[in-house]
Amino acid sequence: MSRLVSINNTFESYQSLISLFEQHKDKLFGNIHLEIHNFFAANMSTALGAVLDKFTANLNDIHFDYLSPQIETILLKNDFLTYYGKQRALDVNNTTIKFQKLKPTDGKYFKNYVIEELIEGHNTDLPRMSDGVKEKIIEAIYEIFVNAQIHSETNFIYTCGQFFPNKNKIEFTIVDIGIGFREKINRRFGRSLSATQALKWAVQDKKTTKQGVSGGIGLAVLKEFIGINKGKMQIVSNDGFYQFDDNGEDLRIFNGEFPGTIVNLQFRTDDRNNYSLKSEIDINDIF
Amino acid sequence: MKNITINIANTIGDVYGVEAEDGQKVFELIAKAFSDKKKVTLSFQNIEMLTTAFLNTAVGQLYKDFPEDYIKENLKVSEISESGKVSLKRVVDTAKLYYRDPEALRRSIDEIIED
Repeated sequence: MSRLVSINNTFESYQSLISLFEQHKDKLFGNIHLEIHNFFAANMSTALGAVLDKFTANLNDIHFDYLSPQIETILLKNDFLTYYGKQRALDVNNTTIKFQKLKPTDGKYFKNYVIEELIEGHNTDLPRMSDGVKEKIIEAIYEIFVNAQIHSETNFIYTCGQFFPNKNKIEFTIVDIGIGFREKINRRFGRSLSATQALKWAVQDKKTTKQGVSGGIGLAVLKEFIGINKGKMQIVSNDGFYQFDDNGEDLRIFNGEFPGTIVNLQFRTDDRNNYSLKSEIDINDIF
Repeated sequence: MKNITINIANTIGDVYGVEAEDGQKVFELIAKAFSDKKKVTLSFQNIEMLTTAFLNTAVGQLYKDFPEDYIKENLKVSEISESGKVSLKRVVDTAKLYYRDPEALRRSIDEIIED
């Protein structure tokens, strides 16, 4: 029996999910019983879904022995539990961004998902956002999705989010079960960076593992936007944890490893910065 | 020299220029036109969303195969959004640095290890 208690977007909660993975990762043809108590942040269903998929890939059966009623409601509303045979519940408040499991080649499907869930689907009930902020948020989400497509060598990408109208926040999380930052960078450069060193390197501007193609801008642009927006970004990759918010950068190490990468983004929707300002770039002086 | 217009939305069949794979299609067309000594106008008409990943493959990697001066002389853009302009400029500046000094990345890895 495994218990998850009060899972939110914190280092400790990611540690709980990693411990769950470490506990059962070598189990084959077994039964895994799970209880979730107190609280479960909807967007964390991405990381849980990824871990549980690792277990089902070893032909284990997953049993939700206990979900507190409030948690069950959230995970039914965001479709997570429908992947485990339960019936979907109507989201009356319309604050969930559905849980999705996509193949890396499902880019066009992801586009429809973004339009339905972030652009059109919540038009009436969303906290008012300027078009500029909305565009920046969607652009940031796309950069992360495309990163997972290009770099992670994952079989699946998991996405989910949640609106918090009263707190003027959106949380959005993208998870893959690929090789992680450390493996990708070490393979490319023939070095042996730790997961935290790999994360520290990757979030800097112009750092890319692509061969023959320049890049490494996506994460840097995201970080700059998060800084202006006063949001938060967290990356969990293998045993590395990176966080950037108003308090600066934080790097920490987990006990055990997440089998891939979690990118969790938190944006403020009451951001009044003007992102639509005309740039001073002359169209004839770009190249 | 004949001027060719490449319409991105038409080339990729989408108004979202987001995936690296789609950028590759645009890159191949520009490279083909350049190889045939044509000037290119890259039209962003109807494009609603861009990622740097798309622009890296579509435009950034031109700097691998063609000199900076040649690109400046023969490539123009039209109907690009303000935010698109900012992203494209950043992609171009990054590409120039990358192809001028490809070993810089390896050195930056060593700096992280030594930290």
